[in-house]
Amino acid sequence: MLTRFLFSFSILLFLTVANASGNIKLSIGQWSFEDIQAQNLQFDIKLTAKGLALTAKADSLILAKPIGQVTHFSLQCDELILLAETFSCGQGTVSFRQADLGQQKLSFKVKGEPEKSKYRIKLAGLTLASASFSATLYLDKKYWRLVTQTPKLQITEFIKVASPYLQEQQREALESWQVEGNINLSADIAGRNNEISTLMVDMATTSLNVTDSESRYVTENVILGLDFSAKNNKQNWQWQTELTVDRGQAYGEPIFVDFDVTPVSLFAKGLWQQTKGDLEISTAKFHQKGVVQVFADFKGSFEKVEQLNVQIEKSNIARLYENWLQPFVLGTAVDSLNLAGSAALNYHQSADNYHVSLDLQNVFIKDELNRFSVDEVNGSVGWTNYDHQMNSSLGWEKAIMYAVQIGQSQFQAQTVSSSLTLTQPWDIPVFDGKLKINKLNLHRPGEQGAEWFFDGRLTPISMEQVSEALGWPLLHGKLSGVIPKVSYSDKHIKVDGALTVKLFEGTTVITDLKLAQPFGSLPQLYANVDLKNMNLSTLSETFDFGDISGRLEGKIRDLRLANWRPVQFDAHFATPKNDKSRHRISQKAINNLSKVGGGVGAALQRSFLRFFEDFSYKRLGLSCKLHNEVCEMSGVGEAENGYYIVKGGGLPPRINVVGYTRQVDWSELIDRLKAVSNSSEPIVIE
Amino acid sequence: MKQLKWFASSFMGLMLVSCVTINIYFPAAAAEEAADKIIEEVWQPETQVKETEQQSFNNIVHVNFAVAALNWIVSPAQAAAPNLNINSPAINSLQAKMKKRFASLKAYYSNGAIGLTENGFVAIRDNKAIPLKSRNSVKALVKNENNDRNELYAEIARVNGHPEWKADIQATFARRWISKAASGWWYQSAGSWKQK
Repeated sequence: MLTRFLFSFSILLFLTVANASGNIKLSIGQWSFEDIQAQNLQFDIKLTAKGLALTAKADSLILAKPIGQVTHFSLQCDELILLAETFSCGQGTVSFRQADLGQQKLSFKVKGEPEKSKYRIKLAGLTLASASFSATLYLDKKYWRLVTQTPKLQITEFIKVASPYLQEQQREALESWQVEGNINLSADIAGRNNEISTLMVDMATTSLNVTDSESRYVTENVILGLDFSAKNNKQNWQWQTELTVDRGQAYGEPIFVDFDVTPVSLFAKGLWQQTKGDLEISTAKFHQKGVVQVFADFKGSFEKVEQLNVQIEKSNIARLYENWLQPFVLGTAVDSLNLAGSAALNYHQSADNYHVSLDLQNVFIKDELNRFSVDEVNGSVGWTNYDHQMNSSLGWEKAIMYAVQIGQSQFQAQTVSSSLTLTQPWDIPVFDGKLKINKLNLHRPGEQGAEWFFDGRLTPISMEQVSEALGWPLLHGKLSGVIPKVSYSDKHIKVDGALTVKLFEGTTVITDLKLAQPFGSLPQLYANVDLKNMNLSTLSETFDFGDISGRLEGKIRDLRLANWRPVQFDAHFATPKNDKSRHRISQKAINNLSKVGGGVGAALQRSFLRFFEDFSYKRLGLSCKLHNEVCEMSGVGEAENGYYIVKGGGLPPRINVVGYTRQVDWSELIDRLKAVSNSSEPIVIE
Repeated sequence: MKQLKWFASSFMGLMLVSCVTINIYFPAAAAEEAADKIIEEVWQPETQVKETEQQSFNNIVHVNFAVAALNWIVSPAQAAAPNLNINSPAINSLQAKMKKRFASLKAYYSNGAIGLTENGFVAIRDNKAIPLKSRNSVKALVKNENNDRNELYAEIARVNGHPEWKADIQATFARRWISKAASGWWYQSAGSWKQK
């Protein structure tokens, strides 16, 4: 726009001078030349000691678009020199009024060689967007060059001035943004006819504040410097740019960058083929101080990717996570991690196919909510949607998942077409046992979340270790299992097959195990449990319940734990029907059972029965159907107004323990059980 | 006459069906009471403003109508005090988490950065009211709050043996959060934000 204006202006000047030979006063009512029309044009040319003094005035001038009509036009040159083939004006002023530019007063210098079509025009004082522009225009036949400098260009004002020349869409897009700040701009543009051949723009902002209407993209007090240069060869633009931002803050949903702490620089160069719309970025280097350094190259267009390579250099994983990963995973299980170590990433994309590999070195991961941690992770993970193989090899020294301790482990796998499989069986030490995974498959179909499954075997784990880790009373026994399939999809982990626990000389089998949102806001665990042939002597000894001899079997149906605490189940424990073992129960155990059942107890202490150490029983058992925080209790048979917890039988002395409370508050029952296990003496209810 | 008989028997049949369905009637009044208890615990005295007369009146009408309908169809003994249990360790732990989080969210409720949605959740209403530096932490707070609320509604339904009540419980909570919100807080109504 400015070029065209200056061009029109120089022609006008030339005409003015060309017509001014001698001491002339000239008035023209209406005059036109090419694109220029003038009304009431007046020339006044005087001979002075320095040369000629020219004054030209016009009420109205119509120049080429986008300048259009100019009124109150006045041009003055006090040092006009006309030689054979050159003319010059050492110092001149021009003033006018134009609709968009308002009232303007510029100073200028001109030197021209009309025969050779060579001109040099220097302008200063053009006020645009509250900034003062200065520019020099060189014209040499069809070649031209414009050098301009503008300090403190107010962006808001500039947008106002520029908006009439923008397309409707661009204008609407701009209107939804609030932009404040100043730009120092210098440009050097050269060209031939109406084509630009080289372009160099240097720009620096002072305190740039930008925000969109929803405040999703915001900069605050940003100071940036941008250099851009481009060379045009038959509409093929070789370009290069460098951007540095070292002050202020920015938020582009969901990334926040504090440039004061982590200044950013970007260098890129490439080729833009204007006619084809093809873009090539041969080199790009992004650096965020103390956080990350990224190299990239790209081939394609603004619409599609033909080839893209991104390489994230080995970086501090904690800084990388905090700045670039955490914002994307808010509200998930991995949104509050403490990390240490380093990571590097390589990404390659060719059309719609990609492969990515992530290298980890000495990485420590710890969940801030203490749900899991992994120490010393080393190795690499590869993923691809290509039909070609990517290998993964990753290991860790130790890990903890809730209370489960996991030992040193390493897995080897390969990925083909978005599907990862093990290349050799994977052993994961769990406490003193091992989870041996024979087959694992991880699949990520399309845009949906990941799905995985594995099958394996759990070699025996000592219950001593498990009980200690879970803060239970010390249990003796082994936990093991064959797991035909563990699968994960839709945030649910489902375990097919059965886990077997050898406890109290009997067998406990856990089936239908299902975990919903294991790391979510409220993890849910569902299972059915069957207990067989347990030795009550060992059990009662473990829980310090008081001696009971005999066997016990039981089942827990529809067990549901929410946040790892039982909220629902239907549990029955009783002496097996055809149990032939010795059935004796001690006084202490009787008292404790009575206490749990909310029944008798004190009676025993007061009666002659207190002289006996233990009693014979036929059957014992207790059931609890937990629902709505209330335990619906029953025993091994109905008694008058109650139920038998212990039914006497065999050789005397015999004893019956009868429970009368059918509904017990679950928390109260837990308190009773705790009281029982904490007390070493029989509990006496007065 | 035949028609009358047919009509009467059909009506009785329908009433029988009604009697069956009443057993799984969602205890609206109990749900409101339960919601209020939890909300008061999470928000503490901060928000215990008096309800507007209009709302109280609506509640009375609503409850009375429900009780009258129940009394008419089934005997009062069967329909007495439908209760909703909210006292479970899981609910307590969610409630405690939400209460702790409220200390951080309070300022953003007050300055209009976040508001209560019509479906019982929290949403970011005005990004501009949150300093750039805190944007993501507020986003995380809102997401975690919504995760907990979602689980809370589901867990209340599950604990009470009716997982299918989740939507009703959520709707009840949605109304009660808004009703109990402090003056100056923002809430969604018919898709647009309004200030109390």
